[in-house]
Amino acid sequence: MEFYGYPRPDGKIGARNYVGIIPSTGCVNNLCTNLENLVRGTKAIRHDQGCLHPPHDTEQVSRTLVNLGKNPNIGGALVVALGCEMVKAEEIYEGIKESGKPVEMVVMHEIGGMINTMAEGTRKLVDLVSEISACRRERAGLKHLVMGTKCGSSDTTSGLSANLVTGEICRKMTELGGRFIQGEICDIMGGEYALKNLCINPEDGEKIVDFVRDLYLRGLAVGADTRGCQMTSGNVKGGITTLVEKALGANAKGGTVPIQGTLEYAQLVPEKPGRYIMNFPGHGFENLTGSAAGGAIVHLFTTGRGADTGHPIMPTIKICGNLNTNKTMSEHIDVDVSSVIEETETIEAAAERVFEYCLEVISGRLTKSEILGTESMEILIKGPVI
Amino acid sequence: MTKYAKRIREKDNVVTAVSDCKAGETVTVRFEGKETQYPCNEDVAFGHKIAIVDIEEGKPIIKYGETIGIASRTIKKGDWVHIHNTKDTYLCLDRDGKPLPGQEGENAPCAIS
Repeated sequence: MEFYGYPRPDGKIGARNYVGIIPSTGCVNNLCTNLENLVRGTKAIRHDQGCLHPPHDTEQVSRTLVNLGKNPNIGGALVVALGCEMVKAEEIYEGIKESGKPVEMVVMHEIGGMINTMAEGTRKLVDLVSEISACRRERAGLKHLVMGTKCGSSDTTSGLSANLVTGEICRKMTELGGRFIQGEICDIMGGEYALKNLCINPEDGEKIVDFVRDLYLRGLAVGADTRGCQMTSGNVKGGITTLVEKALGANAKGGTVPIQGTLEYAQLVPEKPGRYIMNFPGHGFENLTGSAAGGAIVHLFTTGRGADTGHPIMPTIKICGNLNTNKTMSEHIDVDVSSVIEETETIEAAAERVFEYCLEVISGRLTKSEILGTESMEILIKGPVI
Repeated sequence: MTKYAKRIREKDNVVTAVSDCKAGETVTVRFEGKETQYPCNEDVAFGHKIAIVDIEEGKPIIKYGETIGIASRTIKKGDWVHIHNTKDTYLCLDRDGKPLPGQEGENAPCAIS
């Protein structure tokens, strides 16, 4: 099995060929949007962070932006700075440059105002787009495939169809040398010991339980029981009896694939094939960003009621097992697996079909969220915002 | 019309209905190439669970091959399995295996419904 992707100077293979417009602070988001609208082939990686953070968040935002720039779906980048923010634009610029890709930078305080920065930024982008547009897709094996997984707007069908299908895809792709990232610590809560047992190294098992403890204790610090935040009356009505059952349904996206390692938020995934657990939340915007920064070039997003979120630089494939949602939300759903619920297709056969679709998407087929532009992103911070 | 339920792993002692099932009907489970019929003793809605063996009080309810809770009373083969006969035993534990604060008494996750 193979796909067609864009080779990068660091040996990675991308599914898309964008020039990333990367703001070091949310203050220049509008400027980035203007540039994106003006120059074809660009993607603005808007976020609302970059300043007045405690040091741990400044570091996390900076790491996330560097690693998004290193994502092979980005062929080149323009870093856009205001000039006084905590996140250092030079660090992002230098960090992305390590990958060997062309990178440029504009600083509004140095150039003087948005209009002049627009002009200079536009000129730099034109050259970047011209340069990277010469890159051609090449055949690549699955050892170049890094995939993210997530579920959202889930219902009872998720744990019985789309998540099991995704688990089967993950089993198959890791056997063929691929890597995938799973996280959603809120959804792991209740199933952390089952995941711990799948860890190759015991330290990673303890780390996964620590991710869950940290989430619980952070909730407790603001008077919330994050266990209860997971179980809704809708879940109980839909047939989910316990938190562990809910967690196992969500964790099924990785099946019983052994866990190769754990990752901090937005940390680059190592070379070794297999399953990785990243400390990212369930909330889609921060979650997809964590995957993309980790190096995922595509994301499998299972849904029941019909989530529409995608990520600006990472194609996000919606897989849905709910017969009704596949009709009412069809422009948001990429692959229908209600056949698994209807007993007309086995999980294995559905997985083969979805994986084939996934390879088509990596090789250039557009996802529904790319076609409709339902793309959002945010960077996870711990706070407090100062 | 055949009523189906899903079994996920070999170890499971419950299956999940993927049709609305009525008391007295049988449900069909396709698992690893084999088809098996189980009784359904009461009305069980889409997405809810049915026991496929007798489960004594205090014994684990197993789905996805893992314990999802404990039977809070004896459950017969064919019974509906949900919060009325299952106890959620999940606690967030510290590194010594002791519950972290804030989880005392009846404050278990499934008490919220």
